Amino acid sequence: MYVIVVGAGKIGFYLTRELLAASHEVALIERDAYVSANAAEEFGSILITSDGTEPTVLSDAGAERCDILISTTGQDATNLTACQVAKYSFNVPKTMAVVTDPDHVPLFRALGVDVTISTTELILSHVEEELTGGPFVHVLPLRGASSGIVSMRVPSGSPVVGQPVSRIKLPQGTLLTAVIHKNGELKPVVNDPELAADDAIVAITPPEKEDELWHALTGEAWR
Amino acid sequence: MTRHVMIVGCGRLGATAANALLDRGDRVTILDTDAENFRRLRPRVRLSMYVGDGTSHEVLRRTGIESVEAFIAATGRDTTNALAAQSARTTFGIEHVVCRINDPTRSEMYERLGLTTVNPNQLLIELVLDAMEQ
Repeated sequence: MYVIVVGAGKIGFYLTRELLAASHEVALIERDAYVSANAAEEFGSILITSDGTEPTVLSDAGAERCDILISTTGQDATNLTACQVAKYSFNVPKTMAVVTDPDHVPLFRALGVDVTISTTELILSHVEEELTGGPFVHVLPLRGASSGIVSMRVPSGSPVVGQPVSRIKLPQGTLLTAVIHKNGELKPVVNDPELAADDAIVAITPPEKEDELWHALTGEAWR
Repeated sequence: MTRHVMIVGCGRLGATAANALLDRGDRVTILDTDAENFRRLRPRVRLSMYVGDGTSHEVLRRTGIESVEAFIAATGRDTTNALAAQSARTTFGIEHVVCRINDPTRSEMYERLGLTTVNPNQLLIELVLDAMEQ
């Protein structure tokens, strides 16, 4: 895929490195000359020192044939503009924005940003789960669907331990997508693996079904 | 009929607009991140000034956006104005929203998205071109 990354700060820098490692074609745009100089050694010719919210710059970067634009700057206004210009001036099929102020999340989605990544909300949800002992880690909300990706560990006393995943009575609208063994090995759900204690499961579920999902996987009531 | 107008950005454009609206009898709430910029305004009864970020929904709410009839995004930065104006329109449902956009290639896109934009540079260029015709 061809990906344009706007912003070569911490997030943009490491994201670009990972995307390149995964054999994607990437253009990285950074406005600040100082930040750009730091990234230049790593990225060379794919780095463009310019303003990624300007249509001429995005055009030069090849926005017309770009599959995804990801705007990662620390400025919500910049990220929104980059995504809107990509989407509405270059018909980029998918736009993603890092959002610092959680209040902006619903607005960005209403304005055509396909995926919002709220670093504040991500960290906060982990903090809340650590503090309250809440069962699920919310990995990612899914745009368009009212569901999100959640993860949890199967406790040792659970009735599903030793059972194949096909025997789990999942709530309606919930999808079990992966089982990860505690040694890190991924067990594809299509192979119908048996669950062991401390396996991590990854599921897609609407928030209102989380209670039922928790019950199905632990035999216990939550809340 | 007096209106209540919120202006984000107290640079020359924002301050001049505020003074003109106040002269007409309108009520004005103006926001800027730098208190220094309020020096451009004359103290008036119907004028409220707040130091704050006009792209923050929290700040907009606290300074009374829910009771204004019109909104002007007038800072010097296109991206800031676009976020503030689209917040006013989409999040707070304000009908009359004007957004300053300096880059003509972007203002065309925002117009297509239904935002009313004003481009000071474009206006100036047109005046210059008109003057050259004469």
